[in-house]
Amino acid sequence: MFTEALLVSVQQPAVQQDVMGWIFQLIWILAFIVIWIYGQRIQTTLMLREIEGSLVRLKAMRDRGRQMVISAIKEIGKPNEDPTARVDRLLEHVDIEPVSLDPTGIIRRLEHIIDVRDFRLKDEVRQMAPQADETQINNLTNVLEAALALNQIYKIVRHYYLMGKKTLSFYIILQIQMILPLIMRESEAFASALRAFMLGQPIGDGAGALVAARLMYGREKRLIAQDTVVSEIDLEGRKAYVIKAKGPGGNVGKPGEAIKQIIEGEEGRIALTIIIDAAQKLEGEKPGEVAEGVGVAIGGPGVDKYKVEEIAAKYKVPLSAVLIKEGIEDVVSTMRKEIVDGVEEAIERVKRLIRENTKEGDTVIIAGIGNTIGIAQ
Amino acid sequence: MEEGGVRRAPIFFMAVIIVMLVMSLAALILALVAYLTQNTIEYMNVILSVSAIALSVYLLIQMRRKPPSLGFETLKVSTVIKCVKCNYESVREFERGDYVLKEVGSCPKCSGTLHIYSIFREVKEREKTY
Ligand SMILES: [Zn+2]
Repeated sequence: MFTEALLVSVQQPAVQQDVMGWIFQLIWILAFIVIWIYGQRIQTTLMLREIEGSLVRLKAMRDRGRQMVISAIKEIGKPNEDPTARVDRLLEHVDIEPVSLDPTGIIRRLEHIIDVRDFRLKDEVRQMAPQADETQINNLTNVLEAALALNQIYKIVRHYYLMGKKTLSFYIILQIQMILPLIMRESEAFASALRAFMLGQPIGDGAGALVAARLMYGREKRLIAQDTVVSEIDLEGRKAYVIKAKGPGGNVGKPGEAIKQIIEGEEGRIALTIIIDAAQKLEGEKPGEVAEGVGVAIGGPGVDKYKVEEIAAKYKVPLSAVLIKEGIEDVVSTMRKEIVDGVEEAIERVKRLIRENTKEGDTVIIAGIGNTIGIAQ
Repeated sequence: MEEGGVRRAPIFFMAVIIVMLVMSLAALILALVAYLTQNTIEYMNVILSVSAIALSVYLLIQMRRKPPSLGFETLKVSTVIKCVKCNYESVREFERGDYVLKEVGSCPKCSGTLHIYSIFREVKEREKTY
């Protein structure tokens, strides 16, 4: 049909050509008008599609994460019953923040909620994995938390996607589409965290803990707060209390509480407190770069940070920070070579800070912050 | 997510792309016919149709592209073992149960304690000049 028509049009040119030309002109003009009027609608559809693509990936990550948790628990914990139902229940776990309408004592209340949550999660894991030792329980809890994070992210993105689809509101869709690249980066980080946690490999966040571990290796340690160890060492002729979370299980410990107890125990006679932590780098900065500053370099919900600031202000203890820079995708995935090199650099910086800011015979506190998974002491 | 929604969208898009492809092919044929019969080249038609064909082919390739990895694949992770006393050092692949500062036997050179000094992965990145 088409070829015949074509042949006909070839044989009788002029008039027919003209008509065809007009038709095409009209089609292009129509297309132009359609794009003009329905441009935003088309853009909305395209954005929805982009979100949908990411959502499919997020779902795959979530499912894979869930599968990994279940198989890890089965493999390590040798449970008597199938943990699937329990894992599914835990993946829906929610934390309810304390009321902030009356902020008095909110930190104390927040700490309590965090403590209860940690205890509950660990207890659930312990019940699911009766054969696991303490280190493995901590690691499995970390695996569970990463899977939980993936599940939450997936559900939030899905919420906005479905809302956008229902309302076709450009602005609802725009909100999620704008931050989607960041969300994807974060979920990819959690996905790689799952593997690191399962194998018990040190992660980027543990850079601070690794600094402390290097300093206290081979010395006597004691437990000072929950999951937190301290060691008294001699560094550059000063007495140094080195603090880190107890490894090699996945723990962050309670560095705030530990620092508070030491400062109180020494009645404030601390010449310097140095806190070493991993910090998020800006794009363009090299991973493993070391920076110095003042203040309390402790991330997380703020409980530890608050405690240290409070006690340091009370006794006028100077606070120094040594930061090891890393990207968001490195924080929870297996530690990079550059970060290990950064740790060596950070140790030198700590020594220099002590030499320059304190006298021999002074007492200092060195706290390595971060998840100490895969790092003993 | 509704399963239907996921499948419908690609079909809709495929239809749009195919319509675009057919239209631009027709425009191209028209231009060709014009050239054969009148010896004139309709640049506008040719440019529009060629770019539309390129765009639709690109979209088709995009749609068929395999989804990028989910970030679960095993990375190459190395374990560095050092002697506490001398400068003996060895590197091997990470094994389950390894952790930093774990003691792993004695040194073949001086029979001091061997411990895991560090565990890391290496990432190859292009050198940046800015
Ligand atoms: Zn040796």
